[in-house]
Amino acid sequence: MLLPRLEYGSLLSYSSRGNSAEIIHSQDIMRKLKADGFIQSPPVLMSQWVARTILENRRTLEFASFFQANTVLVPAPKSSLMREGSLWVPERLSSALVECGLGKQVAPMLKRVKAVPKAAWSSPEERPLPLEHFESMEVQKLLSDPTEILLVDDIVTRGSTLLGAASRLAEVFPKSRIRAFAAMRTVSNPIEFVKEYQPIKGDIIYRAMVGDTIRSP
Amino acid sequence: MSGKKPINDQMRNGRVMETSHGGTISTLTPEELIGPLNDVERKFAPKKLYVAGAAEYPLRTPRAAIVGSRKASPNGLKVARDIAKTLAKKGVTVVSGLAEGIDTAAHTTAIDEGGRTIAVLGTPLDQSYPSQNTRLQETIMRDHLVISQFAIGQPVLRQNFVIRNRTMALISNATIIAEAKDDSGSLHQGWEALRLGRPLFIWKSVLNDKGLKVPRKMLDYGALELSKPEEVLQYLPSTDRVLEIVQ
Repeated sequence: MLLPRLEYGSLLSYSSRGNSAEIIHSQDIMRKLKADGFIQSPPVLMSQWVARTILENRRTLEFASFFQANTVLVPAPKSSLMREGSLWVPERLSSALVECGLGKQVAPMLKRVKAVPKAAWSSPEERPLPLEHFESMEVQKLLSDPTEILLVDDIVTRGSTLLGAASRLAEVFPKSRIRAFAAMRTVSNPIEFVKEYQPIKGDIIYRAMVGDTIRSP
Repeated sequence: MSGKKPINDQMRNGRVMETSHGGTISTLTPEELIGPLNDVERKFAPKKLYVAGAAEYPLRTPRAAIVGSRKASPNGLKVARDIAKTLAKKGVTVVSGLAEGIDTAAHTTAIDEGGRTIAVLGTPLDQSYPSQNTRLQETIMRDHLVISQFAIGQPVLRQNFVIRNRTMALISNATIIAEAKDDSGSLHQGWEALRLGRPLFIWKSVLNDKGLKVPRKMLDYGALELSKPEEVLQYLPSTDRVLEIVQ
C-alpha cells in the first residue's frame, strides 16, 4: 500500500539539462555529491558540508524541524544491489547529519533486494514507478517503533524512490511519523533552475490513477 | 627500457629520480595525484605512486579508463578505438593498463587523436609488460603520464596486475569495459569502480554475449550498458577544479 503523500525537504538543486556555466557547475556539484567527493578549500566532504550547512542555518531552514532530537535517520537504498563496503552516499549523509547532532541515530533498515534502473540517469519513461521501488525493498526491523523517521537520500528526481521507501517503512512502523530529506533535487526544466543552494520544503504526491509521483516543488 | 635500467640509491630514496633516458620519476601520494580521498577511496589506495611523464598535479582533466581483453577481437579493438577517439576529442584523458589488445588500442588512439593518455602499470616503471609495448611506454613517459605503485626493483607478480586495476579505477572518474571474458582482469576493475561509486560502463556486445555471466551480473550492481561512446561524457566532471557552493 503506497502512501498518498510524503513531506520532503532538500537543500541544493541542479538541472539535468542545459549548458550554461551555472548549470554545468550544478552538475559538477551533483557528481561530487554522488561520489561523496570534496569541495571548497580547505577541502570538505560533500556529506559533511550538507550536514554543517543545515546545522548553521537551522533557524531559517523550513525543513529544519525534520531533524528532531529523537529522529531516526534511515538511508534510502541505492537503485542497484550493493556489495559490502561499497560507497553508500545516503548512509554517509545520515552519519554526517547525526554527527552534527541532527537526529538521534542512523538505522540502515531498508535494503534493496532487486535492482531497478537509476532514476537520476534514466529518461522519464524508463524511471521506475514507486510501486516498483516498494516491491524491490525490504525492511529489516532493527528498532522498536520510532516516533520520528527521516528517510535520507542524495538526490530526489520525481520522488518515486522516497515514496516507495517511505511506504515500506510505514507498513512496518504504522505509528511513526515519516518524512524525507534529499541533499539535492533535480530541476528538469533548465529555465526553472535558479542556483544550487536553494533549500525548499515540499511534498511528493502519489498519483494512484497513473501510478507515478509528482514533486511539488 | 627493455630489461632493467641501472638505478642508484638516490633513485631508491628520493622523491624525484632520474631515469637512464634523462627523464624523471616522481614519487607522489594518491592525494597529490588526484586530490583528497574519502575513506572508501582510501581503503585500497596505494601509499605511494611512482610517476613519469609530462603532467601537472593534481590532475585537472576528467579521466576515463578503457579496459578489456588482451586477446581482443577485431570488433573489440574497433570499440576501444571509437570510445578513445570520442573521449580524446572532448578533452578526456584516456587511462589504460598498457597491456596488449584493448589497452594498447585505447592508448594509441588517444595519442593519434592528439589527446592525453595515462598508463597504469602492473610492473615497476623500469620494466615493460608486454615487451612489445616498450616503445609505447617510452612515448607515454615522455609526452603523457605513466604510473606504477610498484617500486623499482620490486618483483613482478601476477597479482600486481589485479592490484593495478584497483588503482586504475581509483584515478579514473569512470571505467569502460570494451570487451571481456568472465575471467578478465578488467572485471576486477569493474567491481572496484562499483565499490567506489564511480560509473562503470560495459559495451553492449559484452552484455549480449550469452556465454558471459559476470558482466550481466554487474548490471544488477549498478553498471550501465554503453551503446554510444558519447554517452560516457554526461557522467564525467567538466573539470576537477575546486568547486564552491555559494549560499
